[in-house]
Amino acid sequence: MTTGEMSFGSLEALRGAVSEGPLVERCRQGDAQAFARLVALHEGMVFNLAARLTGDPEEARDIAQEVFLQVYRTLGRFEGRSSLKTWIYRIVVNRCHNRQRWWRRRRRSCSHPLEELTVREEARLAAGQAGASPYEQVRQGETARLVQAALLSLSFPHRAILLLRQVEGLSCEAIAAALSLPEGTVKSRLARAREALRRSLLERVGEDGWP
Amino acid sequence: MAMRCPAVAELSAHVDGELGAAEARAIDVHLAACPVCRGREESLRAASQLVSDLPTLSCRESVATRVLDRLEVESRGPGLALLFRSFSAARPLFLPSLIPAALVLLAVLATVLLLNEDAGPLPPASVRVLGEVWDPRVPDHGTESNPLFPSAEVSLPRTREGGSVPERVLAEMNEGTFFLETVVARDGSVSMVTLLGGDSERARPVVDALRRERFEPVRLHGRPVAVSVYRLISRLDVWAPLT
Repeated sequence: MTTGEMSFGSLEALRGAVSEGPLVERCRQGDAQAFARLVALHEGMVFNLAARLTGDPEEARDIAQEVFLQVYRTLGRFEGRSSLKTWIYRIVVNRCHNRQRWWRRRRRSCSHPLEELTVREEARLAAGQAGASPYEQVRQGETARLVQAALLSLSFPHRAILLLRQVEGLSCEAIAAALSLPEGTVKSRLARAREALRRSLLERVGEDGWP
Repeated sequence: MAMRCPAVAELSAHVDGELGAAEARAIDVHLAACPVCRGREESLRAASQLVSDLPTLSCRESVATRVLDRLEVESRGPGLALLFRSFSAARPLFLPSLIPAALVLLAVLATVLLLNEDAGPLPPASVRVLGEVWDPRVPDHGTESNPLFPSAEVSLPRTREGGSVPERVLAEMNEGTFFLETVVARDGSVSMVTLLGGDSERARPVVDALRRERFEPVRLHGRPVAVSVYRLISRLDVWAPLT
């Protein structure tokens, strides 16, 4: 596959509506333009999910790159029984899980530096919201920081299922397909994840500060 | 109360609306009557909603560009890929290596400039001899301008009959030591006598006599050559000690 003739200046234009089947087929045939379009279509979702799973935007950027490289290399094995997006969810979750285990083996504390990074990111996002008063921006940024910190206190499987359900809006059946788990397992883990999140948030804000 | 308190899994499924109609209705009835379960269900719902409301994080640079750059490098090999990348695309690979390279280059340039200033201006390149511009061309070996020295191949010039320094000159020579160079021309005449050491006034009679010397021409491979001869002529008068 050669990519030298591609122009990267019009990636925004690539995010237009496209049909998945022909796009995947063109990617399989080594069409660089088609692969650029595929990446542009899914990179937002991949980055956001990775950033929420790891709590670290810098880490998420690297993971997003690895995810699409894996997609490119294994697209020939994609059978099309699930949607391409479902398949990409699976790769993102596996990559993030591997990274977390890698860091744990090296005894790196996952929560503190990641939370600090997230604080800056949440504040930047809150400041960017049009129409919100400064007070509202601060409140939204603080809430997002608390929720992200509570998410990071959950086990990785719980965090992944909760994010796929609440942020990506996947049904339990779709989550089960993406993670190759029985649907019943997904439902029970989702319930435990919600309960753990509720407890974690209560610990952080107390009964009085509950939104 | 119509039923036992529901488990978290049931409340979670109720939040998602994934229960059957009868099961959902039973839980609704229970929640209406049980404030503990109602509070728990509400907080589960609120916690889930907080996750849904998280702002979407976006990468500040295009992931697609990074991925395609990487694939380009892998498919072409780094050397060729660097040649074909546009400047903006090349930034992630180039910039980290360019910064230390630029710093080293600046340091080297600054050092060179400093050393250059200390050195000061060079003297003019032209050399004048006796008011004439020096001719950089080297004269032929064995000519009067570039005489040979006596060696295994070049014999010491022998004086001709009556061509040597008269005995009278040496007898009348002032006391002193003179170091002299005589250039014997290709025809045996003396082309130049140079006083290299000694008082020039005292040496004058000797120098004049040396100029009039005549030699047998010296040959090298059958060709007459000019030869340079160095001589030390000295006179020391020894007097009896005074008593």
